[in-house]
Amino acid sequence: MSAVGNLVPARFLTLTAHLVIVITIFWSRENNVEACLPLDFTQEQYDNEDTKLVVALSVTLGLFAIELAGFFSGVSMFNCSQGLLSLTAHCSASVSLSFFVFQRWECWTYWVIFALCSVLPAFVEILLFIAVFGLKKKPL
Amino acid sequence: MAVSGKHTIMSSTPLQVLLYLNGWYFAAYFLAESLMFVFKGLMLPYPTANLTLDVVLLLLFLGLESLRIFYGWKGNLTERSLAMFVSVLILVLCAVLSVYYLLLQTFVLRLEFILNAVLLCFYSLEMLLGIMSISAFSRSKVY
Repeated sequence: MSAVGNLVPARFLTLTAHLVIVITIFWSRENNVEACLPLDFTQEQYDNEDTKLVVALSVTLGLFAIELAGFFSGVSMFNCSQGLLSLTAHCSASVSLSFFVFQRWECWTYWVIFALCSVLPAFVEILLFIAVFGLKKKPL
Repeated sequence: MAVSGKHTIMSSTPLQVLLYLNGWYFAAYFLAESLMFVFKGLMLPYPTANLTLDVVLLLLFLGLESLRIFYGWKGNLTERSLAMFVSVLILVLCAVLSVYYLLLQTFVLRLEFILNAVLLCFYSLEMLLGIMSISAFSRSKVY
């Protein structure tokens, strides 16, 4: 049982770290948008890429809301598999997004990180929501 | 041990969950802030007095937060309103310190802004639940 006892705070802290870096990218996204564009870019191209990045970040925040709702309501707080999946996904996302900011990676890499590390835990969270509230299973 | 009738549990589970997670979050916050002060001290033009003030206030914050979480934890579990009340009083001081680090310190990094904003979210929820617990504990007719 001590493994579960340490998994819960670890999962919460990596989730918070990922959230913090997503908010930081939202706040200071000019450098990253300029990295996606060719050296001489028009304002229209800039606005286009900026909108795409804003959409990606907003959807990420929405998926965070789903996962935090599941975590705090107790649906998945003590589920070891979801905890481990969430821990690894958000930890790798935090590291990758730090590289994204510092090394000025291109915009398409954000979609890869998003698909692997935000969609996957949120999807499993939704499955758990359906299992607990729909099929009336015990939330472990 | 004589059991005299049913005793409904008044301890607040959401408050307990928040206090537990807040303890871990503050440990990470303290580590992050210490490293950021090392970074800021090296990179930014600090007058020495300001840097000393900020570091000393961070140590004070650590002490106050530990005390607050301890009193809140024990007060919630033993359903005693005095300990919860002390915890809520110290929470006001901790909130003031958090707002200082958010807005009023000499150099505020974006990361510090976000970390302190998350901490203030924790504090607002804990204050709400703390006050509700104090009223629940005071109202009960245990003795």
